[in-house]
Amino acid sequence: MNEVNDRSRDIGEFVPQADDDMIICRCEEITKGEIRRAVHDGMWTITEIRRFLRCGMGLCQGQTCARLVKDIAARECGVPYSSLEPATSRAPMRAAEMKILANEK
Amino acid sequence: MIGETMDNDRRIAEHPVLGTIEKGRLVSFSFDGRTVEGYEGEPIAEALKALGVMVHRYTAKKNRPRGIFCAIGRCTDCVMIVNGVPNTRTCITPVQEGIIVQTQYGVSAKDGGSHEKI
Amino acid sequence: MYRHSTASAQRTVAVMKRYDLIVVGAGPSGLSAATEAAESGMKVVVFDENSRPGGQLFKQIHKFFGSKEHHAKVRGFHIGEELLREAAAAGVEVELDAAVIGIYENKEITVRKAEHIEHLKGDTIIVATGASENMVPFEGWDLPGVIGAGAAQTMMNLHGVKPGQRILMLGSGNVGLVVSFQLLQAGCEVVALADAAPTIGGYGVHASKLARCGVPFYLSHTITKAEGSDRVTGAAISEVDDKFRPIKGTEEHFDVDTICIAVGLSPMSQLLKMSGCRMSDDPKRGGQVPDVDEYGETSVTGIFAAGDVSGIEEASSAMIEGRIAGARAALRMGFISAEEESARQKSFSADLAGLRRGMFAPGSKGRMPEKTEEGLDISVNLLTKGYLSDDEVTKYPGVVKKKGLHPVIECSQNIPCDPCQDACRFNCIKVGNDITLLPQVDMGSECTGCGMCVASCSGQAIFLVNEDYDDRSASVTLPYEFLPLPRTGDSGFARGRSGERLCTAEVIDVKTSPAYDKTNLLTIRVPKDMAMKARFYEPLPAREADA
Repeated sequence: MNEVNDRSRDIGEFVPQADDDMIICRCEEITKGEIRRAVHDGMWTITEIRRFLRCGMGLCQGQTCARLVKDIAARECGVPYSSLEPATSRAPMRAAEMKILANEK
Repeated sequence: MIGETMDNDRRIAEHPVLGTIEKGRLVSFSFDGRTVEGYEGEPIAEALKALGVMVHRYTAKKNRPRGIFCAIGRCTDCVMIVNGVPNTRTCITPVQEGIIVQTQYGVSAKDGGSHEKI
Repeated sequence: MYRHSTASAQRTVAVMKRYDLIVVGAGPSGLSAATEAAESGMKVVVFDENSRPGGQLFKQIHKFFGSKEHHAKVRGFHIGEELLREAAAAGVEVELDAAVIGIYENKEITVRKAEHIEHLKGDTIIVATGASENMVPFEGWDLPGVIGAGAAQTMMNLHGVKPGQRILMLGSGNVGLVVSFQLLQAGCEVVALADAAPTIGGYGVHASKLARCGVPFYLSHTITKAEGSDRVTGAAISEVDDKFRPIKGTEEHFDVDTICIAVGLSPMSQLLKMSGCRMSDDPKRGGQVPDVDEYGETSVTGIFAAGDVSGIEEASSAMIEGRIAGARAALRMGFISAEEESARQKSFSADLAGLRRGMFAPGSKGRMPEKTEEGLDISVNLLTKGYLSDDEVTKYPGVVKKKGLHPVIECSQNIPCDPCQDACRFNCIKVGNDITLLPQVDMGSECTGCGMCVASCSGQAIFLVNEDYDDRSASVTLPYEFLPLPRTGDSGFARGRSGERLCTAEVIDVKTSPAYDKTNLLTIRVPKDMAMKARFYEPLPAREADA
């Protein structure tokens, strides 16, 4: 089974670290500790972490934090960075108000 | 320190490679109730930077100060309330005569009060 | 996601605006691609989300490297102006404030323009969306005053506003080095440059420009904290071990109001991912990149990627990649013949190959050579402190001992670059056909002191030295791109390569010429024994000068 998806793996207990308070997702103000804790709560993919914590769903849509979140999640899961699938890329690529999305010319 | 007038030391009067960087005409606009000056057409964030303003907003959750970060309209840290519209990216929104710029608290003006209307 | 039923899809296609080629991004690669395609007869539109075209190019005020065909010794923003002229002449439509927010099946796209969106089709699409800046989080990194390197450039070079007064730069790649120098040119003080890596990542000559101005390099150091309550007022850095962990007790503190982050770029490839292109995670190319063939075509026929979005490199390579993709798109849609396209691709491919050589070639990433291609030692001092030491300098072929005036070329790394060779009409300087080789100074030729070589070196690594100026003095002519420009008769200090003050110096000549393109030639008189040490001039502080 793909190592990433094998949730029977033991990734150990959540161990508090000195920099857990550091802001990672600036838009939604999500800290490193919250991301690491989410992994231990069972979220092993970027999509899950994003939906649970909202990191990457703020105004900048992950432009700033995406790689940082992936790096933290990969380390916590104990898998190589490149093996984690990044969050799905879908429209709109830039945040747009509903009235604009609905206004197709 | 914020000065109402232009602090020329923060602006580059003459650049060794670029010479004098072209600017529009000097206009007045409102920042948090004070009348300040900037050059028409330059990004609001640049005008504020030249005035010594560093804090553009305070975050919703932890009330932390934010200012210019990427300066090209991608990170959304520099957003302020401009003419009553919150979440306006000041690094890509141009200064115009008479615009009303307010520090954003979360997504509102101070104390969650109503935004100044145009 | 938009999903049309077959009937409505046909109806929509019938009224949907269609282009032969849609280019996403009006940076150097996008504009080059569009121009190539338009020159081939294609109906091209370029969409860019910004309000100005040119991507990052107009912020680049330094002279580019490479050879004549790569726009060597031309400043980035001039190259940008040229690109815009060519695009206009070719009839390329560039739409600004137009963000492409999705690429769908059948090469349909949606663009957000002002208050509405449009749904369009391209027969071919070239995605040239460039890259975004990497981040390194640290305590206090969200404070006002922490900015990206691109932000510093935007403020200084586009809007004439200083990003701050005292800056700490993080990152020693070319971006960190180049932006640090631009900060000095803007009148700011760069208090230090720190990088967690053990060696400087960018060109040695870029580092040397900073070192002789007195900017200290802190390699193997990381930032641990940005201090301040509502804005940056200081920064703390620490040395790191071989696992990049801070070492206790090595903390250093700087009083700064700005911390600039220049830790690399990542391709902005999300649109390509959405369009269904096969992607891979390639650290050598900067992250998530599309799989492309040598013409930039992705796994989806008719969708291409060009420039940084397909692999982080430079503007010079981005422009050629744009041309390559543009020509291929033209072939795909039958606008040019296979022979014509083949001829063009041969030329483009040769130009591109010319850039991708030497110590900093994409293929060499991660490998640190010990010797130059000529078999000379790569300077460790240059890689760790940013300058060649006095005794190292004489090893290189550009540094010779000669009677009278002669050029001294302190170029010690193999980078494809040869403007110096073209600059001298008297054959004093030779690089050869392989422009990656280090320049040599010819012992037989006579130097007239015209200074063209000094002004033409994009790395500002060429000096004119006359150890026989008079009985006791030598003269050193150096490139000077700062204001205020010193005047003949001024007195100041001569600085060595490390930035240390060596001795007093008198300005005996200042030359400005349109041919030098803003690189002024400053000649100082120093004691004879300083001829091979003095490499920068520091004016006296205003008060001392007036006294």
